[in-house]
Amino acid sequence: MRWLLLSLALQNLGRRKARSFLLIAAVALGSGVVFTGAVLMQSIDRSMAVGFTRLGADMMVVPEGALTNITASLLVVEPSELVLDADALAKARLASLGRVAAQKVVRVEHSGIGSHHESADLIGFEPAQDFTVQPWLVEKINRPLQAGDVILGAARDGVLGSQLLIFGKPHVVYGRLGRTGVGTHERGVFMSFATLDALGEAPGGGMGGGHGTKPAVLAPGKVSGFLAELAPGATPLQARFAILSNVKGVKVVAGDTTLSGIRQGLAALLDGILALMVLMFASTALMVSVLFSAIVTERRGELGLLKAIGARRGQVLGVMVTEAVLATGIGGILGVVLGVLVMRLFERSLVYYLENVGVPFLWVDLPRTIVFAVGAIVLASAIGVAGVLYPAWRASRRDAYDLVRSGA
Amino acid sequence: MLSCRALRKSYVTERGEVLAVDGIDLDVETGRYAAIIGRSGSGKSSLMAMVGGLSRPSDGTVMIDGTDIWGLSDDKLAAFRNGRIGFVFQFASLLPTLRLVDNVALPALLGKRRDVDVYGKAATLLARMGLGDHLDAYPSECSAGEQRRAAIARALINDPVLLLADEPTSDLDEQTEIEIMDELLAVNRELGTTLVLVTHNLSLAEQAEQIIHIAGGMIAS
Repeated sequence: MRWLLLSLALQNLGRRKARSFLLIAAVALGSGVVFTGAVLMQSIDRSMAVGFTRLGADMMVVPEGALTNITASLLVVEPSELVLDADALAKARLASLGRVAAQKVVRVEHSGIGSHHESADLIGFEPAQDFTVQPWLVEKINRPLQAGDVILGAARDGVLGSQLLIFGKPHVVYGRLGRTGVGTHERGVFMSFATLDALGEAPGGGMGGGHGTKPAVLAPGKVSGFLAELAPGATPLQARFAILSNVKGVKVVAGDTTLSGIRQGLAALLDGILALMVLMFASTALMVSVLFSAIVTERRGELGLLKAIGARRGQVLGVMVTEAVLATGIGGILGVVLGVLVMRLFERSLVYYLENVGVPFLWVDLPRTIVFAVGAIVLASAIGVAGVLYPAWRASRRDAYDLVRSGA
Repeated sequence: MLSCRALRKSYVTERGEVLAVDGIDLDVETGRYAAIIGRSGSGKSSLMAMVGGLSRPSDGTVMIDGTDIWGLSDDKLAAFRNGRIGFVFQFASLLPTLRLVDNVALPALLGKRRDVDVYGKAATLLARMGLGDHLDAYPSECSAGEQRRAAIARALINDPVLLLADEPTSDLDEQTEIEIMDELLAVNRELGTTLVLVTHNLSLAEQAEQIIHIAGGMIAS
């Protein structure tokens, strides 16, 4: 019986070839846009997350009087004896700030890193809040960063997983950063706050041992400075004013405002594209609904006949829903195929160009792409079901005789 | 077998309420051939639709083999129509996208009958109607007479107790009309199926054992 209904649905689609073609094409276009849009938006989002974060923070908050190093695109906290309370910004609860990452920077000598007299910057960060160090990781061990791990700047040698002694204490080389062009980063050794604090506590040596006083920044609850992102819509001027009004004894250093603008603008653009996609999908759904309403009206006689020979209401609905799911499902599959072709084209043009100029484009991984593809097909089929359900339900409730007469 | 009491049907139109059937009482005994005759618009087709469970009466009851069919739920009425009543309509009522054998088998498939070889029985019925070599033909490949014979075969697939034919020959030539009527009468006589024929053609009604004359929605004689 199911095969007969399926065959009935298929042949009904074949009966009106031009109309079926247009219906399938419209759904293919809609689901193609949804599939391509979803994959590209996710990919752009990922690329932005990495690409823009690599461009550093929008602003830096450091103790008043501290030295700062402002490069074209990257804000870097410089080592200093001046410190801030680790919760200084959190307590101020500033709406103009987005993500905030604290850093502790200690410049050390005779640490065992590099040659004997070489100074090295040990840079501590909180892995869960960090958005300026980890995006630069170009290679790493396949596990999360943990206590005792260090990340080397691009200019330092060290094999992943090998042991690095710092003040005689063994650490594991967890990863390596890419080239940033900023000296502190290039030659720095990065680690979690916990690892850095442990170095300060090391008995009989290290930073807090026999060579001098323990740096102020290693005291509990102290940091060298904060790297911060602007909240969506906020301007550097607003944020600077808010910080200086609410936090005493700090200096605010803003980065390249153009980049903040681009970041915020792109995020808004992606939201706009999403809204357009939803609108387009909704208009496709409406069109399919109108079309199926006309199809059901045209087929009243046939539905009445089915009822007359004993089809139950559910079976009458089933015939129409099967036909709708077939048409829109085929449209959905074609849409995904179309989307894949468009993305291949995109990969060979814009993505190729971006990568050539050093801007990374990170495609969504295959399992997620498959999920999007299946989602687009299911959504397309759902449009068919939603479009046909009401008119078919209304028809199934009518007297068989009325249907037969109106369709004869 | 068939018993209708105070059967009434009205339609609401733009010009107000139209009374198509006005309080008809009717009884047809098992195995009989009854003809409902009347002019166009007399209400005979509306009466047949209510008797066949196709159109809900505004008032009154229809009993078939002791079952008050309009007291049944929608799905039970569909199952009753499927198993107990066969229909032959006044137009080509086959599904155009199915082969003749599929069309004939469809009511049994809808009723999910498992006690018979549905396609075997459909082929036998088509052969009985002289369409044994048309099993795989589509309706558009058949003449009007062949389509009507296939519709009779479809009406018989579930061994109905009541066969309702609404002007089954109205669009056919005289010779084909005779052939179709012969088939219907053969079903009535050989299988003992109660036959109710709706027609405005008095010559077709002459062979009926019971003639019900409808005029103005009421039984005239």
